[in-house]
Amino acid sequence: MNTLMSVRGLRKHFGDADVIKGVDLDIHEGEVVVVIGPSGSGKSTLIRCLNNLEPATAGDIVLSGSNGGRDSLARLRDEVGMVFQDYTLFPHLSILRNMTLAPMKLRGLARAEAEAQAMKLLERVGLAHKAHAYPAELSGGQQQRVAIVRALAMQPRLMLFDEPTSALDPETVNEVLQVMKELAAEGTTMVVVTHEMGFAREVADRVIFFDGGRIVECAPPAQLFSAPCEERTRQFLTHVLK
Amino acid sequence: MSFDFDYLLTQWPALLDGLWMTLQVSALSILLSLLIGVLGAGIKLFRLPGLTQLVALYVELIRNTPILVQLFFIFYGLPAVGLKLSLYWSGVLCLSLWAGAYQIENLRGGLATVDKGLREAGAALSLSSRQFFRLIAIPIAFRVSLPAMLNTAISLLKNSAYLQTIGLAELTFVAVDRIATDFRAIEMFTAICVIYLALVAVLALLAGRLEAHLQRPFQQ
Ligand SMILES: Nc1ncnc2c1ncn2[C@@H]1O[C@H](COP(=O)(O)OP(=O)(O)OP(=O)(O)O)[C@@H](O)[C@H]1O
Ligand SMILES: [Mg+2]
Repeated sequence: MNTLMSVRGLRKHFGDADVIKGVDLDIHEGEVVVVIGPSGSGKSTLIRCLNNLEPATAGDIVLSGSNGGRDSLARLRDEVGMVFQDYTLFPHLSILRNMTLAPMKLRGLARAEAEAQAMKLLERVGLAHKAHAYPAELSGGQQQRVAIVRALAMQPRLMLFDEPTSALDPETVNEVLQVMKELAAEGTTMVVVTHEMGFAREVADRVIFFDGGRIVECAPPAQLFSAPCEERTRQFLTHVLK
Repeated sequence: MSFDFDYLLTQWPALLDGLWMTLQVSALSILLSLLIGVLGAGIKLFRLPGLTQLVALYVELIRNTPILVQLFFIFYGLPAVGLKLSLYWSGVLCLSLWAGAYQIENLRGGLATVDKGLREAGAALSLSSRQFFRLIAIPIAFRVSLPAMLNTAISLLKNSAYLQTIGLAELTFVAVDRIATDFRAIEMFTAICVIYLALVAVLALLAGRLEAHLQRPFQQ
């Protein structure tokens, strides 16, 4: 399997707080990596480093095909898409404009081209009929589905999700997970921080248990959930699965 | 002496000239004050070194001194240091600078409602911070600050009457000028009061339309 992103010796401090304490990780093309772990363990910080939203204190994050030079950080931002917990659609723009803004401004797409692409993506998540609505007119689950395809419109090579369903009503969680499952099935490379253990079990190729700023354990879900090697993983799992 | 309508009719052309001048000066100054507002709020948001302090000083200066003093400073003071502006441009400069300071604060209030989450969403889509300011932050701030910005624009319109003190032939100047020769104070002041009221009403109506249009995204 080809490595898409390779992380070496990643560290992140906030002042005195040592939040990421050395992470090595290879993400392969087409792979779904799910990150689980207790609150405050640094999961968000970790994946925010992966698109340089949070500049790393030390270490290397290299996308395949890049030489790791200075402009590789800008490329990271450009080629990695991200979906946040609280949808973050631009409230003053229609759904369609939310979708076309970045492709037009940064990819140089003509409006017609960008809109055609946006409509195709919206159709995929069943929201083409909302193209001219505003974000406030959509439910949380619908907004989150738009946020996902808005990121996809930039044709990222890697998609990051930080607890994409945590802010949603329980009834709408599944409509978002369903979209993510479809993406995974199509071979999208994804790193997903989530508390949805069912999703991890079903979709992940590898599950990372993250605690105290370190990868404690990384294994396929079948192994990690039924026979974790580490005592801390076991404790966490009995806590969240009960 | 009773209220003489016929007199007002004879003065109507002169009043119209004054009204036209008031409209020109006010409209231009409102636009310039908005420009100052965007620039100043942007400088403060990005904390541009040096400029930020300059903007803060400017805002304090304008807000804590009488507008009449500012006007005299521009019209009588600046020529002493070699900057001589016409009546018209002295008036426009005074009103723009005065309202600009308030528009900076109005827009800053609106910008404060643009939260970190949106900024990060923009960054995750690779928008530069300048693109984010132009395409996301300012349009949102405009919508949020619109009522406050309208208030400032109305105050500007009313403050254009101060320009009669330097002799710019706007509405109030025309009225005062005629009263000096014809002594028809009640007619003239009634007339310009009604005209100012109508101007403010029109401005508020336009802003109301604009607001209804711009607010649609935020209504559920
Ligand atoms: N910008 C920041 N400045 C200072 N400390 C921060 C900052 N961001 C995160 N931290 C700290 O880093 C630690 C890890 O935070 P992080 O948000 O990555 O955890 P998490 O695993 O995502 O938690 P949760 O499950 O609650 O989302 C926390 O102790 C947090 O207080
Ligand atoms: Mg988090």
